[in-house]
Amino acid sequence: MKTYNKIPDYLGKGVAGICLTIASTLPAMAYEQAPMLDEQVEAGTLPPVDERLPKEPLIMDVVEQAGEYGGTLRRAILGGGDQHNMVRTIGSDNMVRWDPQWTEVRPNIAKSWDVSDDASTFTFHLREGMRWSDGEPFSADDIMFWYEDVFTNPDLTPNMDSTFVGPEGPVKVNKIDDYTVEFDFGTANGLFIQNMAYGFGYHPTAYPKHYLSQFHEKYNPDVQTMVEADPAAADWIQLFNLKAGPMDTPLFWQNPDRPTLHAWHLKNAYGSTDRVVAERNPYYYKVDEKGQQLPYMDRITYDQVEDVETILLKAFNGEIDYMLRHLGRPSNKASLTDNMERGQYRFFDVGDLPANIMILMLNLNHTDPVKREVINNKDFRIGLSHAVDRQEIIDLLYFGAATAAQTAPREGSELYKEWYAKQYTEFDQELANKHLDMAGLDKRDEEGFRLGPDGKRFTLVFLVADVFGLQYPDAMELIANYAADVGLDIQVRATDRSRLIALHTANEQDAYLWNCSGGQADAYTTPICYVPIVGNSVSWAREWAQWGVDNTTGSEPPQAVKDIFTAYNEVKAAGTPEDMKARMQKVLDMSMEQFFTIGLVQNDPVFGIARNNVRNVPEPLPIAGQLWFPAPYTAQMYFEGGANLP
Amino acid sequence: MMGFCLRRIMYMIPTLFLVSIVTFVIIQLPPGDYLDSLAADMGESGSDNTAVVETLRQQYGLGQPMYVQYYKWMKGILLHGNFGISFEKNVLVTDLIWDRLGWTFGISMLTLLFIWITALPIGIYSAVRKYSFGDYTATFFGFIGLAVPNFLLALLMMYVSFKYFGQSVGGLVSPEYIGEPWSQAKFINLLQHIWMPIVVVGTSGAAALIRIMRANLLDELYRPYVATARAKGMSEFQLLMKYPVRVALNPFISTIGWILPSLVSGEIIVAVVMNLPTTGPLLLRALLVQDMYLAGSLILIVSLLTVIGTLISDLLLAWIDPRIRYQ
Repeated sequence: MKTYNKIPDYLGKGVAGICLTIASTLPAMAYEQAPMLDEQVEAGTLPPVDERLPKEPLIMDVVEQAGEYGGTLRRAILGGGDQHNMVRTIGSDNMVRWDPQWTEVRPNIAKSWDVSDDASTFTFHLREGMRWSDGEPFSADDIMFWYEDVFTNPDLTPNMDSTFVGPEGPVKVNKIDDYTVEFDFGTANGLFIQNMAYGFGYHPTAYPKHYLSQFHEKYNPDVQTMVEADPAAADWIQLFNLKAGPMDTPLFWQNPDRPTLHAWHLKNAYGSTDRVVAERNPYYYKVDEKGQQLPYMDRITYDQVEDVETILLKAFNGEIDYMLRHLGRPSNKASLTDNMERGQYRFFDVGDLPANIMILMLNLNHTDPVKREVINNKDFRIGLSHAVDRQEIIDLLYFGAATAAQTAPREGSELYKEWYAKQYTEFDQELANKHLDMAGLDKRDEEGFRLGPDGKRFTLVFLVADVFGLQYPDAMELIANYAADVGLDIQVRATDRSRLIALHTANEQDAYLWNCSGGQADAYTTPICYVPIVGNSVSWAREWAQWGVDNTTGSEPPQAVKDIFTAYNEVKAAGTPEDMKARMQKVLDMSMEQFFTIGLVQNDPVFGIARNNVRNVPEPLPIAGQLWFPAPYTAQMYFEGGANLP
Repeated sequence: MMGFCLRRIMYMIPTLFLVSIVTFVIIQLPPGDYLDSLAADMGESGSDNTAVVETLRQQYGLGQPMYVQYYKWMKGILLHGNFGISFEKNVLVTDLIWDRLGWTFGISMLTLLFIWITALPIGIYSAVRKYSFGDYTATFFGFIGLAVPNFLLALLMMYVSFKYFGQSVGGLVSPEYIGEPWSQAKFINLLQHIWMPIVVVGTSGAAALIRIMRANLLDELYRPYVATARAKGMSEFQLLMKYPVRVALNPFISTIGWILPSLVSGEIIVAVVMNLPTTGPLLLRALLVQDMYLAGSLILIVSLLTVIGTLISDLLLAWIDPRIRYQ
């Protein structure tokens, strides 16, 4: 059994394997609170700060220095579908957290954790005296409520989140005492602690029993009267889902009554007004080294706008204090630079480095046997890859600020290998023609297009939606022309993104253009482009992925793919960090050899803006599909001078 | 007259019934539903979460056949005035739209007023003083107003007021007043902002109206009845207002039916660009994410307004123009 409260050497993020077992307690010291709370404490409506904090608060490692209280962090949010704006500034504050460099996992809600030697059981030690944002105590019972009454209730959780499902099935959670819980997978699940630090690890600590049990059939026999009072619900399940929605959907942010453990708590619902306001949680469990209770900033406000361009204008006007979402696009850099003085802001680097930002996702599990045969021929994919002039796409669409590469871990990540990123990336029509001929498409019709094995012109229909602000439709036109140059007929179907998703999740697509995470440390936990995994946005071998989950569904993959499944399961059972890395490298070697998807472009780091007096800004700030930063570190950001710049 | 009114009102019922069916079907026609759109949103944010989407699918009853969904929706509207739930906002559609409808009507009525106040006098002037310097000036600006797309004008004005006046753009009040209770300062701030959408939306409307008024009036000005009145010694102004202008107004009244719905649904792009709290952005967003009850309700309300508007213009026409018969 190993205990961790600082360094998860087990995860091997390049940290020496020292186990610190001393809990990080402060010597007896007086804690301080924000001046805005003084009045309430004096009036007796709020207990003094020492009573609000747990016995052992988390002493937050600030980026630069201990800060000062005051000010409102002003941001903008789109009128709909932009809940991640709040998730990533407030919401992602889990049992454990990644450090600001994304290299190791540190304690957060849990003050420490133990891992059994076979990496199957994980024991979290909670903080005694910790409270929800409404002042009620937070304990192991809340986690047990999530486990017994939400997670394992098939009505409330028809589909379990993969974070909590190990190779042997769903996790078993046991309460050891009021401040100790044990997550038991029965078999090795070595990626669990990493997963708990990523976004979806929020579940166990997001369900306040004292508040949510009133909507639960088991605890409230009169729940039906509440259902009848709420026109939006037809039964208690719907009512419960309304009140206890998942954090990454709008539902969570539409119920300001639900207590949280976040640094700021919503005052009004997202979507209801022109401005969403979140005010400091007086019970937040983190302090700085001087004993000042976090967060430093009094409020976060999100002004609701309808158009991304309006956010840009607000930034020019100095109405945005800290933001990267919607703003950090290469096309905005010039105009943001022009207005730096006026808006009194500066740039900071953002390491948003997915495995690839433009991928030709060919459907390896196509229902049409002819297309399936051709697409599964590796030579076909190699030929198509060589046919694309990646550099021209980068120059035309991204001002040259990107690199031609395959879908692979980024340079600088510990899993990087040059051949992963560079194989088949050179633009060479001769090579392309050679490989396409080898793939059996060596006959052409009178217009010069290649014929498939059935003697008819071989056509691929590419779905493309205008997503990520990356000008995919324009890129797709270029790609279709490159393909035509080597005699391959690609038809482009521009479509709405929800239709695109509906089509590919039903396995009805030939191919589509999308991006993929897994460029950095997230390659371990979300290898969605390296291993077939069922997902909402990425499908290149959906039936194999289904087979991988349950051998009675989907369709049986070839041996090479089965070997990849096995190899990835072995990663989870790894005993040491070095071992884990070696096993993951093996998965990547096998996957890259298979060359499942054709990656085109890896972007350069992006940027965000922070007004000149915003301090303790993590830089460069890593973000990823699963890494919902800067959330656990927003609480330690502060305004120099204790107020917004005028 | 009563029979005419009754008959007209009776016609509205089957019309609205058909409209509600068409609305509901059309909104459901595109493949996918709100949850696909939510999944796409989450996919774009990089958080791929199949588990959540499956949980919510039963939440919203999106799996039931279309006629069941339609029946439930209609029953709610007719029996309880309940237009259903907005999937994305998880509140009743009725809670969502009245506030915005208020702003929409406020801005639209002011715009209409702006149009009529500017366009009618100018139109009359440029018809009476045909080919004068004033007529050419009005014509020139009128055509520019017609030719420039509204959203472009909006962007231009926003840019100018941002660049040269340092004004905070977008929305109806400056950020410091958002969420504050109403005060004199906030009202003044509102006035400083609200003229922009009014002018933007109003210019093209006014331009069109000037041209129509001018053309209509020119047709009338040389009619014998005008010459007769003049010969009888009627003052020129009284004559103009009492006879030719009144006849020339006929087309405006018959188009009131179209004005009402265009006030609600029109200028969506302007509202999005200028970040106005009107129904336009709500409808656009609802259609994009297939938030079907919200979109359906808005379209239904717009249709209702069209039908009512047509009724009003029919009645007004019958009243103002004795040549129209009640049949």
